[in-house]
Amino acid sequence: MMNEHEKVSILLVDDQPGKLLSYEVILKELGENLLMARSAREALDHLLKTDVAVVLMDVSMPEIDGFELADMIRQHPRFQRTAIIFISAVHLTDIDQLKAYQRGAVDYISVPIVPELLRAKVSIFADLHRKTRQMEQLNAELRKLSARLIATQDEERRRIARDLHDSVGQVIVALSMNNGIALTEVSNVNSVAADALRENEQLIQQLSTDIRTISHLLHPPLLDEIGLLPAIKMFADGFAERSKVNVSVELSPDIGRLSPHMEISAFRIVQECLTNVYRHSESKTAFINLSVDEGKVLVVEVRDEGRGMSPGSIVPKTRDNTGSGVGVSGMRERVRELGGTLAIESNGSGTSVIARFPISAAAVIRV
Amino acid sequence: MPIRLLIVDDSELVRKGLRNILRAKPDWEVCGEASDGLDAIAMFKSLSPDVTIMDFQMPGVNGLDAAAKILQIDPMAKIVLFTQHASPALEKHALDVGIRIVVSKTDTSKMVGQIAALLVPKSPEP
Repeated sequence: MMNEHEKVSILLVDDQPGKLLSYEVILKELGENLLMARSAREALDHLLKTDVAVVLMDVSMPEIDGFELADMIRQHPRFQRTAIIFISAVHLTDIDQLKAYQRGAVDYISVPIVPELLRAKVSIFADLHRKTRQMEQLNAELRKLSARLIATQDEERRRIARDLHDSVGQVIVALSMNNGIALTEVSNVNSVAADALRENEQLIQQLSTDIRTISHLLHPPLLDEIGLLPAIKMFADGFAERSKVNVSVELSPDIGRLSPHMEISAFRIVQECLTNVYRHSESKTAFINLSVDEGKVLVVEVRDEGRGMSPGSIVPKTRDNTGSGVGVSGMRERVRELGGTLAIESNGSGTSVIARFPISAAAVIRV
Repeated sequence: MPIRLLIVDDSELVRKGLRNILRAKPDWEVCGEASDGLDAIAMFKSLSPDVTIMDFQMPGVNGLDAAAKILQIDPMAKIVLFTQHASPALEKHALDVGIRIVVSKTDTSKMVGQIAALLVPKSPEP
């Protein structure tokens, strides 16, 4: 991880060793890593081998055309934004300066070089580069952390749902069975006991429903045992009933079992989208479509006909935390982690969310 | 001749409850109990029960997969899927596997009746 004091590399290009030496002398006190190149070829070699923060070169060198070298550097996708400082002995007219900038030159300095000025210009770009690298590394770490967080959350919910089923759930079943048996004798007990038994039946059903609801919100039943399609169908049915939104579901039958990671991610995206439809869209209908594109890409689409999301207010986090994740950014993270893409289109006549996941040949198992 | 039932559930509590409920039918007899899908298949092979009551969600091989295996061994096997997660989606999938009856675990009052219906032999065409 690049910290604040790590050295960056500065590439000095000139075909005259004397000039190179003078740049070196001026820039040495910056304490960065100085690389020397005496030809265009050496310069490109260095660039390919090392992460260069800024390139310093003269516009008019006897054997190297500075502008041409800059062009070559800029054409390489990796170096399109590498900072280049041109040194110009000739008094550049405005047109020449423009030419320099068109080639992606970032700055230029005129001769005779004022050492403090050169050091100042170089160190600005060196610092910029350092900060950029730092930010990239931090971003990568952040992404890894958030992926781990999502996975942990999924796993924990799955475990709790399973525990609910295996412990609490089975006790409720036993309770229900026993009460059923007791109820067969209800005519043989006094009326107070009879009422209690009947009320028990209601309470047990209520308990059972409540536990089932909690469990379903935590982890989709059927997903692990059977797969994505029945899990989504079941969720959509339950959602339609709870929300009174008309849900139409199209699930392509050639979607077999996928990796558990992909299955839970696809499910969570559908869950999150439907939650948004209910909470924000005011749409009376929703469409869920799952299909496979050329056997290689799982396409998950959820559409509604509501009032759309305004860019600024995309899914405010809810207080009661009954959402399945952290909204749109959670969805993006899930998709990105699996190497997929997420496309959201939203306007006054509805919203469409399309997630595409690449499926590796090993992951698709025809049932 | 008593009707012989094989009951499969990973919970001892539930199996006990089931035994109690099935006592209501004196001519029914629980001939075996299994606590996971693999055992269920093995016991089916050795006991050839008239009806199998199969829990859906079990560790290892789940009830649907075990039932599918049993139906491969005996396509006429009578299996009732027993679950905390009864839903139309599950019923449809069970039907695809060959299981016509799915019973919710908290609706066991219906189960005896549904099993009895399963046992009625189809009347021959006149």
